[in-house]
Amino acid sequence: MKLRQLATGLACVGATLALPPAFAADPILIGASITQSPPGSVVQGTQVKDGMEILKDMVNAKGGVLGRQIKVLYEDNQGIPEKGRAATEKLISKDKVVALAGGHQSSVCLAEIEVAHRYKVPYVNTNCWSDDVRKRGYPEVFNTSPYNTLVSSSMATTLATMGVKRVVAFAENTDYGIGQAKLTGELLKQKAPNIEYKYETLDRASKDFTAAILPLRANPPDVIVMSMLPPAAYIVMNQVYEQGLAPSSKTILYDGGGLADYPDFWQNVKEGGKYLLSFALYHPAMPQTQLAKDIAAEYKKRTGSDVNRLVLQAADSLHLVIEGIKQAKSTEPDKVGAAMRTMKFESLRGVSNFSTQQGYSFQQWLDIPFVNYELTAEKQPVGQTVLIQAPGQKFDPAKIVRPK
Amino acid sequence: MLRLSLDLLANGLIYGCFYALMAVGLAMIFGVLKIVNFAHGEFFMIGAYTYVLVALNFSVSPWLALPCAAIGGAALGWIVERLLMRPLYAGYASWGFMKDEYAVVVTFGLSLLLVNLVDKVVGPYSYKGPALIETSRFALGPVMLTGQKAIATVVAVFIMIALALFLKKSVWGKQIQAVAQNRLGASLAGIDATRTTSLIFAISGMLAALSGALLAPLVNPSPDVGSFPAIKSYVIVVLGGMGSVWGAMIAALIVGVSEAFFSVYGSYDYRDAFGLAILVLVLLLRPQGLLGQKGRDV
Repeated sequence: MKLRQLATGLACVGATLALPPAFAADPILIGASITQSPPGSVVQGTQVKDGMEILKDMVNAKGGVLGRQIKVLYEDNQGIPEKGRAATEKLISKDKVVALAGGHQSSVCLAEIEVAHRYKVPYVNTNCWSDDVRKRGYPEVFNTSPYNTLVSSSMATTLATMGVKRVVAFAENTDYGIGQAKLTGELLKQKAPNIEYKYETLDRASKDFTAAILPLRANPPDVIVMSMLPPAAYIVMNQVYEQGLAPSSKTILYDGGGLADYPDFWQNVKEGGKYLLSFALYHPAMPQTQLAKDIAAEYKKRTGSDVNRLVLQAADSLHLVIEGIKQAKSTEPDKVGAAMRTMKFESLRGVSNFSTQQGYSFQQWLDIPFVNYELTAEKQPVGQTVLIQAPGQKFDPAKIVRPK
Repeated sequence: MLRLSLDLLANGLIYGCFYALMAVGLAMIFGVLKIVNFAHGEFFMIGAYTYVLVALNFSVSPWLALPCAAIGGAALGWIVERLLMRPLYAGYASWGFMKDEYAVVVTFGLSLLLVNLVDKVVGPYSYKGPALIETSRFALGPVMLTGQKAIATVVAVFIMIALALFLKKSVWGKQIQAVAQNRLGASLAGIDATRTTSLIFAISGMLAALSGALLAPLVNPSPDVGSFPAIKSYVIVVLGGMGSVWGAMIAALIVGVSEAFFSVYGSYDYRDAFGLAILVLVLLLRPQGLLGQKGRDV
């Protein structure tokens, strides 16, 4: 009897152990290799993460995708290409992510897309502007990010329209900076061959740029173009202002990197930021979807700052992956990639159409909306700036305000 | 061209003064312990952040925030010596066993720790420090200056003069010189070498922190702001003569001015390489540096 009871008990225990455990559906993993510590741009990495987290929370609050929650796995690449490569390798091979998004520094993107291409995992380029990312022609890489040809072409048109004679560009020593400065010069030569243009490469790790600025005092140019990112860009702006070079009645400072968007812009440039002419990818005057407005409101609630283009770009890149999963009705990377290639995608900033032409436009959303605006007062919010070129309109140089 | 040369000379001398503040502290540490402190750039960073955060968060005058930065730097220097450097002369490493390796690993690790700690605690955004004087820019003859550059240079020069007098005239200064010459001999003469070493680290930290605070309105501190002056400091200390305070001061001015001129009249792209080229030449032709002394093993 006792033996029978023991045997029955053991059988029950064994049967229970043999049953598969009951648990909630596993989340869908999406990888993001971003900069979260120096020497790379932690400011950018923070904004990318903010944008992706907000969209992820919104999607999960509505039940997720295919009945599963979305989880974004972040890896810190420190802005170093080798670390980006290792981070991407880990996300794909160990964490088995469905896709990757969040890349925001061109040098790192160029290393990471090699890994994504090898494993055939979709990679959404969030903010890598260098045309070289597209020129590689990898079918796994989807570019919702602005690109240097767009920016340089617009800037060249602006400079030609302004009717200036001499332009000097300060470019940071990265794929983005040198690429943009070089391309702006080439395109400007086609549009206005009589404009004298040269660019100076500056070390983004340096803190003193007076040696590059001082020689310009004797013969100031009409426009100084900035193809640089913070914090070096802030120092250049301050030192250009301290030397009395720009802004002035003769010389305008023209930014091609969206500096005024950054939350720490005014606390770093103060009076040096007045009269800055800016090529911009976000302005409250632009048409926005309801989702974009919701993200803007949530960002303001969480951080106290106004939304900017990088936060929206980051949300957009995650949005593309989620839509791809929905369309594919699958989380297999190759099926998600195939869906992303053929589906119609309404991004937060407009309907996007990925080009299939090889070169800088390969799988690039070509018609990214942009504006040109000018800051005319210290601590001026972007929404109150003077629109020199409204969305879809021509650049109007008569609207430029110059210091007296 | 004359105006440009005057601009470059003024700019080179101004930045040379700030580099001198950094380099002198490093020279003092080497003079006593014969090690290089790879976290010296982070003392600069801590000083810059202390100045900016005290001035902005507590709404105090920048002139009050400056001594706060100095105290912060001194305290950090004292803590580093007490907790990390003491084994160099009070533990197994004092026997000479892997002393240099210990110093490199510990100070390099400290550097990484401080950069990432500030990044996580304060945040990644840079902060332009408040200027000591509100005059944004003015012309001094053909040279354009800012109030901050002018006043910060005066303060830096004053600090260096005060330091020179302190080392030469005060009892503590003489003790520092004695320990630098011969630690054992100084101990036998009744000088507390351990306390003197603590004082040196505190002074070194204070000088680097002051350099950071004075430059904060000009370089917009971010967590990795310490790397650029640190590299310059290593070059300056070797050029001036390892352990020579006066050598470091003179070398700093030479490096500041020559880099400014070479950047414009030579090549801007290779200006950092120029400083390193000078270093190589000095090491080949005069290895002890400008004012250093030739060493010998006994």
